[in-house]
Parts: sequence; C-alpha cells; structure tokens
Amino acid sequence: MAMAAMRREGRRLMVISPTVSLNSTNAVRSPLVSQELSLQGTRSISTQIVRTRMKSVKNIQKITKAMKMVAASKLRGVQVRTEQSRGLWQPFSALLGDIPSMDVKRNIVITVSSDKGLCGGINTTSVKVSKAINRMNSGPEKETKYVILGEKGKVQLMRDSKKDIEVTISEIQKNPLNYTQVSCLADDILKNIEFDALKIVFNKFQSVVQFLPTVATILSPECVDAASETGGKLEGLNSYEIEGGDSKKEILQNLTEFQFSCVMFNAVLENSCSELGARVSAMDSSSRNAGDMLDRLTLAYNRTRQASITTELSEIISGAAALTG
Amino acid sequence: MASTGAVTFWRSAGMTYNAYSNICAAIVRNCLKEPYKSEAVTRETVHFTTTNWENGIQGKPVTHEIFK
Repeated sequence: MAMAAMRREGRRLMVISPTVSLNSTNAVRSPLVSQELSLQGTRSISTQIVRTRMKSVKNIQKITKAMKMVAASKLRGVQVRTEQSRGLWQPFSALLGDIPSMDVKRNIVITVSSDKGLCGGINTTSVKVSKAINRMNSGPEKETKYVILGEKGKVQLMRDSKKDIEVTISEIQKNPLNYTQVSCLADDILKNIEFDALKIVFNKFQSVVQFLPTVATILSPECVDAASETGGKLEGLNSYEIEGGDSKKEILQNLTEFQFSCVMFNAVLENSCSELGARVSAMDSSSRNAGDMLDRLTLAYNRTRQASITTELSEIISGAAALTG
Repeated sequence: MASTGAVTFWRSAGMTYNAYSNICAAIVRNCLKEPYKSEAVTRETVHFTTTNWENGIQGKPVTHEIFK
C-alpha cells in the first residue's frame, strides 16, 4: 500500500515537473498555466450525480404513471359493481333500520381497510373513525372489540389497540370480489364472534377524489327484537304479518344474518372503489411531482453544462488572444 | 341460536342463513347451461385469510379457500 502511494506520488511529481520548469523558463505565461492547473478539478464539475438522479426520477415517474393507469382501469369495473350493490342493503335499512346510537353491551367494530398502500389517507380515515367509535362506546360493563379487514388497518391499530383486536382478515382482494366470498367471510364472523351490535366502518365512494367515512350498524336479532318491542324507530316491524311456521325470532335471525353479509359486501366494494380512486389521484400527483423534479434537475444540469462550456470557450479565446497579442 | 319451536333443518345442523343461501345459490348456478355456467362459476371463488388474536398476541393465520 505504502509503495503504491509513493509511486502515485512520484508520478504526480513527474507530471508537475515539466510545468515547473516551464514556469521558471517563461515568466510571462506562468500565471495562466498555474491557474489552469489549480482549476483542473473545479472547472468541469461532474454532472454524473445529477444524471443518475434524473434517470431514477424518470424511472419512478414511469412506475407511478403505470400504477395510475392500472388503478384507473380497475376502478371502472369496480365502480359499476359498487353502484349496483347499493341496491342490496337499502331495503334492509328500510326494514331493520341503521341505528348507530343504540346502546348495547358488546360492540364489534369492523374496520374495512386495504391490503396495499399508496392510496392516500383512506386507511387512516377508517382507523380514526373506528377508534372514535371505540371511545364512544367504551364504558363500564361494556366491551368493544375490533375485527380488521386488510393489512394496513391492522398495522395502524396494532400500535395502541393491540388488546382489543379479535380477528384480522386479509387477502380478500386476491381475486375479484364476489358475493360468495364476502358471505363466507360474514359467516366466519357470525359463527366465531359474539356481538350485540356490529359497526362496519368503511369509506363510501362519492367520486374519484371524494370518500365519506361511513358507519353501518347491524344489531343482533335479540337487540332488534328488543328495540321493536320498546317502540321507537323499529316499531313498524311489529306491523308485518309472518307467514308459515317460523317465529319472529327465527325470521329476525335469518334477516340480520343476510343483512350483515349484504352490508359487508357493499362496504368491501365501496372501500375497494375508494382505494382505487385514491390511488389514481395519489399516483397522478406523484407523477406530476416527479415531472416537476425532473424539470428542475434538467435545468440545473443544463446550466452547469453550459457554464463549463462557456468557461472553456472564454479560456480558449483569451489564450488565443494572449498568443496573438 | 334459536332453539324454540320448529327449527329449520339447516339451522339445527349449525349453519347460518348465509351458508344455507350460498349452497342454494351454488345449486342454482349448476343448473345453468354452458356459456353462462362457466361465467357464473367464477363468482364462486373464495379466498381470504383470518388470524385470531388473544390478549394482543397474534395467532396463526388460517386461509379459507374454495376454488370451483
């Protein structure tokens, strides 16, 4: 190592030595020559770093543009299905109502979020609303638990509400969403979790840039029965005649189960629609940002290049002038 | 679970209304003729993973899958 350094040192001395001798022989030209030597490094600033940066920004822009395209084309299909699925839960809320203020003992908050990120703040919104509902419904002799759909909501709620998580569900969007899948999922929740009220928190799709955090409440059959007995919003339920041999309790149980899977289906679709819409706008702004950054970098790069060319030119011209003059 | 009176047979087998209606829907889909049948079958794929939590500790994930 030391020898190599010495050799390098020696070579440099060898290179410098002619100029030194030149310096001593030609006193008139010496200032120019020595200046040229000292500016060797600074005159041509390396543009390599800027060029690499530009290339990486350009690649990122390409990726974000592609993601935007993919999300936009997926959104078109999902949006139609979401709008169609709204007809599925509306009759249920007309019949069984949607009463979020119902005071019950055991609440289950179902937070619907996405598995993938890069979709703006929709997951944060549904997590925040879920936490607010949890706080509103907490109290002595009351229990509130979370059922979380999607990885992103899980990661956020794990930080401070680890103890309240009952079940997490993921990978539901691996295949295109269908009713069979969601009803199997609803079935799983119904069988394994005891509840008095289920509160489904999701982002309702308004437009590509607007999502409304929404809560849909589903009461257990016992609660619906109790609520219809005491009057209030569900009093109309008693005016229905029941055909066949089923009791009101059985019918209510069937209805609430079916209501839950229908509302879940709509919630999951609405949320995936909002996710895609949010992703479209997020990717749109990020590719625009990448474009701006690229413009700035190109400007800086060209300016530096131009400056070095100008310096070189002026040096050549002044050198020539010095020779002739 | 409702246990009074004449309980329907699927309820006493431990099924929920959703499971019952899913089976009925699958039977109806099976009755379709060919170009529609294979299209309807794609609406029956089920895939999701559930993880049970106990006292803040994550359990083992279980994958539920039905491919037809």
